[in-house]
Parts: sequence; C-alpha cells; structure tokens
Amino acid sequence: MKNKICAKREESIISELSTLYRQYGYKRYKPSCFEEYALYQENKDFLIGKNVITFSDLNGELMAMRPDVTLSLIRHSDISDKVTEKYFYNEKVYRQSSGGRNYKEISQIGVEVVGAIDETVVGELTILVCKTLETVSDDYILDVSHMGFTEGLLNEFTSNRNQLSEYLRTKNLHDFYSLAEKEKYPKKLISAFETAVNACGSPQNVLKSAKLAILNSTMRDAVDELTALFEVLDEFDYADKVNINFSATANADYYNGVIFNGYVKNIPHCVLSGGRYDKLIEKFEKDGGAIGFALYLGEIERYLAKDSESIDYLIIYDGKTNLEALKTARKLRSDGASVRISTSISVGQIYKELIDLTEKEADE
Amino acid sequence: MINVALPKGRLGEKVYELLCQIGYRCEEYSKDSRKLIFSDERGEVSYFWVKPSDVAVYVELGAADIGVAGKDILEEYCPDVYELADLKMGKCSMCVAALGDFKDDLSSPLRVATKFVHTAEKYYAEMGRDIEVIKLNGSIELAPVLGISDVIVDIVETGTTLKENNLKVVSKISDISARLIANKSSYKFKNDGILRICEKLKKAVESSD
Repeated sequence: MKNKICAKREESIISELSTLYRQYGYKRYKPSCFEEYALYQENKDFLIGKNVITFSDLNGELMAMRPDVTLSLIRHSDISDKVTEKYFYNEKVYRQSSGGRNYKEISQIGVEVVGAIDETVVGELTILVCKTLETVSDDYILDVSHMGFTEGLLNEFTSNRNQLSEYLRTKNLHDFYSLAEKEKYPKKLISAFETAVNACGSPQNVLKSAKLAILNSTMRDAVDELTALFEVLDEFDYADKVNINFSATANADYYNGVIFNGYVKNIPHCVLSGGRYDKLIEKFEKDGGAIGFALYLGEIERYLAKDSESIDYLIIYDGKTNLEALKTARKLRSDGASVRISTSISVGQIYKELIDLTEKEADE
Repeated sequence: MINVALPKGRLGEKVYELLCQIGYRCEEYSKDSRKLIFSDERGEVSYFWVKPSDVAVYVELGAADIGVAGKDILEEYCPDVYELADLKMGKCSMCVAALGDFKDDLSSPLRVATKFVHTAEKYYAEMGRDIEVIKLNGSIELAPVLGISDVIVDIVETGTTLKENNLKVVSKISDISARLIANKSSYKFKNDGILRICEKLKKAVESSD
C-alpha cells in the first residue's frame, strides 16, 4: 500500500472541491463533449498532447472529443474587460495519457477566471490553488514562476532561444556554460541565467536574488507582481508551501503572467498546473484576461484510496431464504451497517461477519 | 533516503566509485552479488543498477530520485527530468557516418540507419533534409556496408569499428557524456539531499578533470 498517498476517494475529492469553489462564488461550467476540430487545430500548442479523437458529424463536419475544457470555455463565453467571471468545471477530457500510447478518458477538475483580472483575483486564485492541493494531501509544494521573468530573460539573448529555454526548463547549467563560452555572452547575462536556473526555494530568498538579476522592465514587472503575490500568501500562511521556480515554464504564445505547477509528496509528476493566459483571449479577439488551473485527477487516480472491499455483513441465501435475506439486510442497514446479500462468497470479499441463511436448511 | 539509479556496466561502476569517494559508499554492495538494491547503512542513499537506457525511465517515474544517464539517451527520449550536472565520463559523440566514397544525392530521401530515431529525425529536420529512417537495434555499421542505408547515425567512441568497416565520420551531431538527472518532484521534496550529492559530485568531477 506504499503507493497510497491520499486516503480519500476520487469522488470525495471532487465533492470537496466543488463545495470549495462554490463557496468562493464560482459557477459550474458544463461544456459539450464535442467541439469542431478546427478549435483544437488552430490552438494545437495550447493542448497538453497534440493528438485528439476526431470524427465526422451528421453534416460531414470534422468534430473532436474535447481534449481540454479551457478552449471551449473561452470560445463560448462572453468575455469583457469590465466584468470578472469565475467558473469551475469537473469534466472528462480525452487525450493521450502522459507517457502512454493510447487515448484515455481523464477526469479533470479546474477553475478559470476570465475578464477583468487584477492583483486580488490572482491572489485569491493562488490561495485556491493551495487549497486544492491541500485537498489531495497536506504534503504539497506549489511551484510558482512568472512568464514575464523567463521571457524577459530569454529575449535578452539574440539567438539559440529554443536551446536556452530547454536549458532553463531542465536546470542544465553545464551545457549553458559551453554555449555561453562559444557565443561569448556578457557576464551580466550569464549570471542572470544562473539565477533563474538556480532559483528554487522560499520566495523571500529567491525574490531577493531575482531582483539582482533584473535586466529589463518585463523582468522588473514580473518580480514586482510576484512580490505582491507573496505578501498575500504570507498573510494567509501559505508562504511556506510555495516555491519560486523559474524552470517551470509554459508556452509563451498563450501564457503571460504567473505559472503554477503543483506537486504532492511521493507522486513523481506534476498534479496541477495553470497560470495566466491573456494571450489566448487575444487570439479569440476578445477583451480581458484569463487565469486558471486544473487538477489532473485522472493522473493521480492510482495514488488515491479505492472503493473499500470490506463490508460489515455478508448474507448468503438460497431459493428458500431470499425473502429472509432481504429483511435481515434491511434491518442491519437501518442500523447503519453495510450489507451485501449473495448466493455465494465471491473471491476476495472481505467482511466482518457472515450470516449464512442456507445453513439452517442443511441442519434440518 | 535518496534512491539512485545507476547504469549497469563500466560507466555505472565508475560513477559508483566516484560516489564512494565523496562519502556515499554502500558497505552492503559487492560487484558479484545478485541483489538488485543496496542501501547505505547510514540510510542516506540506496542504489540500484538498471539497463543504461532505462535509467531515465526510473527517474522520470520517481522510482529513483536521481540517476546517471548518457546525454544520447536524454536527447533521444526527452524524459521530463532535471539535468543537474555533467559528470564528464563516458565521453563520446553522436555522429553521422558513411562509406568512404559517400556523396549525398539530394534527388532522393537519404536513408538513415540508426538506433536513435528521434535524434536522427531532429538533426535532419533542422537541416531541411528529407530522410527515411531504418530503425536497427545493433550492428548499425552493417547497414551501409550491405547497402540498406546511405548513412548511419550512431555513437562513436574511438572510431575503430567505423574504420574496420570502411566507414568515416561525415559530421558530428553532438558531444555525449554521462549526466546526473533528477526527478522533478523529488527535487522539491528532497531538495537538500539531492543538492548536497550534486554539489559534491560536481566538485569531485572538477578536481579529477
């Protein structure tokens, strides 16, 4: 049972989170399972996996099973920079499982805020990210990064962008040094890149060194925004659960502000991700910004508690005692016990007490 | 406790020796034992040896917190892990090689035999050269000799095997050496322990360089 990280079942996590999001005034969003394929084709890089399940509908139009909920929400909702809309969803999505070679139905629960986004919205949403991770396990770490800092840094380099972004993502300084030597990067740039790669740990320390690495106004704005965010998190006692990690990046064509990556102890991969994605809203030619996150329930399923196999009573009946079995079970259940009636004991069934109604007959 | 995945074979032994030097010896370990997992008695580290190409899988899936894998494997499979240090061991290069009289005929796709399909595809895609990949699992050098491919993409250490088969290096794709990799989740939850090993290893590598 080493792998069980969380003593809760998937359903109870979903129900706890739905209650939590409603408490914060979020509305449930329920998209259709199908969307025009073009939506995903045009925004391929926004998706986690590139492959989607497609089919022709009755008009011959190419449709897809949704691999993601965010795109549907942005496409179908009215977004304006005057109003803040807050949604949550709890849906199945259809995509390749991480590292798998097959399509999978993956359950995903998440939150999206669209429209007018200010510091308070970002602060409250980050608290909600922490509370979401807390629902899975108390032993969690939230990695926070900022696209402004990483993009601002990478933009200072005139070439090798892809390579540099890969080095940042994998914390690979040794290959960076070789490249820096070859390209004769200035000292200031090298030390700023080092700071970004080595940044991992408590916000206070990291922000201090990040301030020294600022090279332009984009990076300055990012550090200022993170500083303000951590003041809020500190006030709400979440600061010690949060790490700044500039290696956590996202696609710069869509994301532009804070980035979240949630980790839970003993689960080897990221269980929650999200961030600020105003650029996607721009692509849809709507006004306003957006920020959100999703918890990948489907990916952590194996670490959650399973339906218990143990019941209180197992009643075995036969053709003559079936009515008696139903009555006995009703009585026991009314006392709060779990009772299963059956004609035989199934393999692996665990029970506290066995009531065999066929025995009496054998005695007679 | 930090779980370390090491590659079976000469490279793994060398890395283990280095780990011993910096204070992570495991008394329980003996080369001839058939045990698969060995723990350090102070409970700081435990080791297991796996097939070199599998190290990255064990680390990505969190069975090992850190591990040692060749850059060739990291380039080919792109595991979602951190690459923390260059151990400067097992040095070789990823190369394109062909028969001595090879000339690229641009009128048809280049036939490339390799074990490293992704690496070859990426290299030629960047050059804009159309290729046909023939995936082989060993004795790659045979492919151009027997005429099933125009070139090979493979690891070249000394070049002796190439020479003996009348092949020559056409171009170098990248330098390869052993890298210290870490699971992304472990890096956060066991940060102190992992950084300690990493820093000591880096120092030991530098001083032996």
